[in-house]
Amino acid sequence: MSPQPQSAVGAPLSRVDGRLKVTGKAEYAAEHDIKGAVHAVIVDASIGRGRIRSIDTRAAEKHAGVLRVIHHRNAPKLPYRDNPGSNNPTGRRLRVFQDDLVLFHGQPVAVVVATTLEAAQHGASLVKVAYNAEQPSTDISKAEPGAPVPYARGDAEAGLRSSAVRLDLTYALARNHHNPMEPHATVARWDGDRLTVWDKTQWIVGTHDEIAAVFDLPSDAVRVINPFVGGGFGSGLRCWPHTIVAALAARVTRRPVKLVLSRKQMYFGTGFRPAYAYRLRLGSDRRGRLNAAIHDFDAETSSYETFFEAAGAPGQMLYSMPNVSQAYRQVPLDVNTPIWMRGPGFATGSYVIESALDELAHELGIDPIELRRRNEPEEDPSNDLPFSTRRLRECYTVGAREFGWDRRSQQPRARREGDWLIGMGMAAGVYHSGSNAAQARVRLDADGTALVETASSDMGPGTYTSQTQVAADALGLTMRAVTFRLGDSLYPPTPPHGGSQTMASVGSAVLDGCDQVRRQAIELAVGDEESPLYGVNADDVVVRNGRLHVQGTPARGETYKSLLARNGRSHLEARGSYAGPAQPERHSISAYNATFAEVAVDATLGLVRVRRMLGVYDAGRIISPKLAESQAIGGIVGGIGQALLEHTVTDHRDGRIVNASLADYLVPVNADVPEVGVIYLDGDDPDGNALGVKGLGEVVLVGVAPAIANAVFNATGRRVRELPITAEALL
Amino acid sequence: MSADLSESVVPPSTESGGPSSGPSRRTVIATGVVVGGAVVAGGTFLAGSEEAAAAGASPSSRVSLTVNGTRRTVTVDNRTSLLDLLREHLDLTGSKKGCNAGACGACTVLVDGQRVNSCLTLAVRLEGAEVVTIEGLAEGDRLHPLQQAFIDEDAFQCGYCTPGQIMSGVGCIQEGHTDSPEEIREYMSGNVCRCGCYVKIVRAVEQTAARK
Repeated sequence: MSPQPQSAVGAPLSRVDGRLKVTGKAEYAAEHDIKGAVHAVIVDASIGRGRIRSIDTRAAEKHAGVLRVIHHRNAPKLPYRDNPGSNNPTGRRLRVFQDDLVLFHGQPVAVVVATTLEAAQHGASLVKVAYNAEQPSTDISKAEPGAPVPYARGDAEAGLRSSAVRLDLTYALARNHHNPMEPHATVARWDGDRLTVWDKTQWIVGTHDEIAAVFDLPSDAVRVINPFVGGGFGSGLRCWPHTIVAALAARVTRRPVKLVLSRKQMYFGTGFRPAYAYRLRLGSDRRGRLNAAIHDFDAETSSYETFFEAAGAPGQMLYSMPNVSQAYRQVPLDVNTPIWMRGPGFATGSYVIESALDELAHELGIDPIELRRRNEPEEDPSNDLPFSTRRLRECYTVGAREFGWDRRSQQPRARREGDWLIGMGMAAGVYHSGSNAAQARVRLDADGTALVETASSDMGPGTYTSQTQVAADALGLTMRAVTFRLGDSLYPPTPPHGGSQTMASVGSAVLDGCDQVRRQAIELAVGDEESPLYGVNADDVVVRNGRLHVQGTPARGETYKSLLARNGRSHLEARGSYAGPAQPERHSISAYNATFAEVAVDATLGLVRVRRMLGVYDAGRIISPKLAESQAIGGIVGGIGQALLEHTVTDHRDGRIVNASLADYLVPVNADVPEVGVIYLDGDDPDGNALGVKGLGEVVLVGVAPAIANAVFNATGRRVRELPITAEALL
Repeated sequence: MSADLSESVVPPSTESGGPSSGPSRRTVIATGVVVGGAVVAGGTFLAGSEEAAAAGASPSSRVSLTVNGTRRTVTVDNRTSLLDLLREHLDLTGSKKGCNAGACGACTVLVDGQRVNSCLTLAVRLEGAEVVTIEGLAEGDRLHPLQQAFIDEDAFQCGYCTPGQIMSGVGCIQEGHTDSPEEIREYMSGNVCRCGCYVKIVRAVEQTAARK
C-alpha cells in the first residue's frame, strides 16, 4: 500500500451507487434511451441438430409494425475475423445467419425487427422454419469424449495400490445456469461506419474486440458502453451471438436496434456451468495421510468449441500427497458452449475432493477438520512454490469455534428434532488469485476533485465503491471528492470482470495512477517557492482531505486547490498501470476458506433445509468490508443453489432444455436462506499485488456445496454423490 | 425448495373502471391532464410507435391510469403488459424485467396499494388504477425509509432485483407480514435475488417495519 493514511480502505462504507440503484435510476443495458430504437426478437431453432430446409417469413412480414425478418438466406456475409485475445474457446465460433446448419436447440435462426416490442415478439412467433432434423447428442453419459487433458505427478496407480485405505467414488454434477437477474441485452446503433453498442457484458474490452473482429471494423470504429451489469456470475465473460445479431439487425434496418433475450433464451443464448461425471479414487494410510488420487472426469462442451476450466486445479494443490493423476475429458455435445460460472472449475473439483475427504474421515473415524490438518501442505504440491499466505488452519480454528463444531456428533443420524434429522458438515475452499494487466486514467482537477476512469465493470461486487476507496486514500481525498467511472471502451483497458481479479488488476492500476498524481502534486509543491511545503523532502509529504502537509506536522501545508490555482494548472493527470503478475511466479497465491453448514432433513420426506452457514475466509486485505460481507453471503447462497436446487434438465430426445425458466430452474429464494455468518481473517497478502488482496468473488462459493453435502450425510447417514441433492435421492 | 408464496401476485382491481373505459380503436390521444390543481406535462402520447399505429392492425385500447401521482391517458397495444408500458413507453425503467413470467418479482409495483407482478398485468386492465413504481417512492430527495434501509444494510449488489424487492418490501410491511424474520422470508420469497442478498433484505424490511 502507499504511504498515505488509510481512511476509506477498510472502512465499512455504503455503496457510492446505492442511491441510483434504490431509486431505479441505474441504467442497465436495455435501458439506455436511444432515439429511434426499434425492437428485435430472435427466432430459436426448434430442433437440436440438422439443417434449415426453408424459412417462410410472409406472415411475419405482414404483421403490423414488422420491419424486417433476417435469416441466413438474406443476411449479409460477415467477416468473422479471428480474435486470438478473446475468451472464445478453441474451435470455430457460432456464426449467426451465415449458413443453414443448426448446432443446438435454440440456436438463433432468424431475427424479427419491428417498431414495437409486441410486434417483434408476435412476428417471431409467425416465422415458419422447416428443418431436416437429425438426432442430437446431448447426454454426457452416452457421448464419445475427446482426448484427455492429462496431469500427473508421482505414480498414482502404484500409490493407490499400496495404500492401506482406498476409496473409489463416482460423482455427478448437474449443469447449472448463471441466471443473473438482468437478462442479456444489446442496443446497437450505427452512425455511418461506426458502431456503438450498449451491451450486458463483464468484459467491455472483450466485447469490443469481438465485435470489431466479426464485422472487421477498425478498433476505433466500435464503442461498447455498459455502466451497470445486473448480475453476471460469468455469463457475461464473452460476447454471445445475440450481440452480433443486434448489430447486424441495426445495420440491415439502418435503425438502432434493441434486443433483449427472454429468460428462456438465456438458457441457450448464453453459456452455463457444464455437467460433470467425476470418478475419484483416493488412497491413504490408516492415519488419514493421503498418498494417491486418480481423477477421471468428463465435462460437457459444445460440438463447435472446446470449453476448458480449472476443474483439476484443486486436486493438484489443495492437499499434500505425492501421487496424483488426472484425465479431464471434454465431451462434445449438440449444445451451446459453456462458460465459466462463479468459482469455475474449483467449485466442481472442490465438491468432489471435499466430499471424498468427508467419506475418508468417516471411514477412519477421524474428525474431518483433523483429517484436513493432517494433509495440509507446506508448499504448493503442484508447482513446489511457497505459498504467499495460506491460512486454512486458522480458518478451521476460527470456524470450528464460532460455529460450535464440537457439538457435532461424529456418528451420523445421531441428532433428531421431531421429524427433522440435524447434521453438521464442513469443507475447505480454494480459488486461485489471478490478475492481468490493466490501466486507469486519473485526473485531479483544480477544484480539488478527482476523476478516475477504467473500462472495468461492476456486476454487483461494488467496483464503483471499492475503487473509489482505493483512489480516495491514494489521492488523499474524501470519498465524495472522487468520481469513479467504468463501463466504456473509451476508458483505459482492463481484463475481464471475473475470476476474482478486478481489485488485484484494476485496483492496482488505479492505485498506481493515483500515486502518480499525488506525487506530481507533491513535487510541484516542494519545488514551489510560494508553497509552505517548499524545500520539504517529497517523501515526507502526505495528503489528507485534499490538503498536502508535512507528515507529523499538519499545520505546514496547503490544499491541492490552492497549489493548482497558484501554478495556473487546470489539472494533473496520469495513466496508472498494472503489468500483471510477476513472471516467473515466485509464490502460489490463492484465497481459501473453511465453510460450515448445519442442515435439517425431514426424515420422511427427504426435504433438506439449511439452518445455519458460516464462512471463514483467508482472502488477503479486505478493501470494502461491508460489501465484502455481502459478497460472501451471496457466494454461500449461490452454493446453496448448487448443492440443493440448481439443475438444468435436457430432453435428450430433441435437445430441448425443459426447465428454461425461473419457475422450473430453481434458485434459492429468501425462505431458503437462514442466517449466514461471514468472517474475514484480518491481514493482507504482500506478495501478489500492492493492495495485498487475493480476490473474493469465487472463493466464497467454493466449498459451500460439499459442506452442505457433508452435513446431509451427518444428518442422515445417506451419502448422495450427486448435485443437486434432491428429496428423491434421500428417500 | 420452498413454496413460493403468491402474495406478490395480486390481480389489480379492475372494478374502478366503468363500462366507458372499454377498449377503443383510437390511435392518437391528446390530453392535457390536471392532477391536484397542477397541469402535468407529458400526459400526452401514443404508447407505441406511430408507425405501428399507422399500420392500424394492432388492436389497441385507451386507458387512463395514475402513475406515481400523475394521471396518464394512453393508447396501448392490447398485448402490452404494465411492465412494458412503464419501461418501453413511459420511460420508467426502474421496474425490471427478469423473467416476464411472474417467477422472479423484479417487476413488482404497487397497483391500488397492492404489490403486483407488472409483467403479468395487461395495461388495458388498469383503467382508473393507481400505480406506484420505484421512481415514485421517494419524496423529492428524501428516500423512502426502506430505500434508505437497503443502502444502510447493503441489501443489494447488482441492483437489478432491487426496485422489485423494495416495492415488494413496502407491500410486505403494509400487509403486516413482518412479525419475525421467518415471516418476512416467506412473504419476500416471490422476489428472487441472484446475488443472494436475502439476509440483508430481511434486515432492511424488519428495521423499516419496526420504525413504523
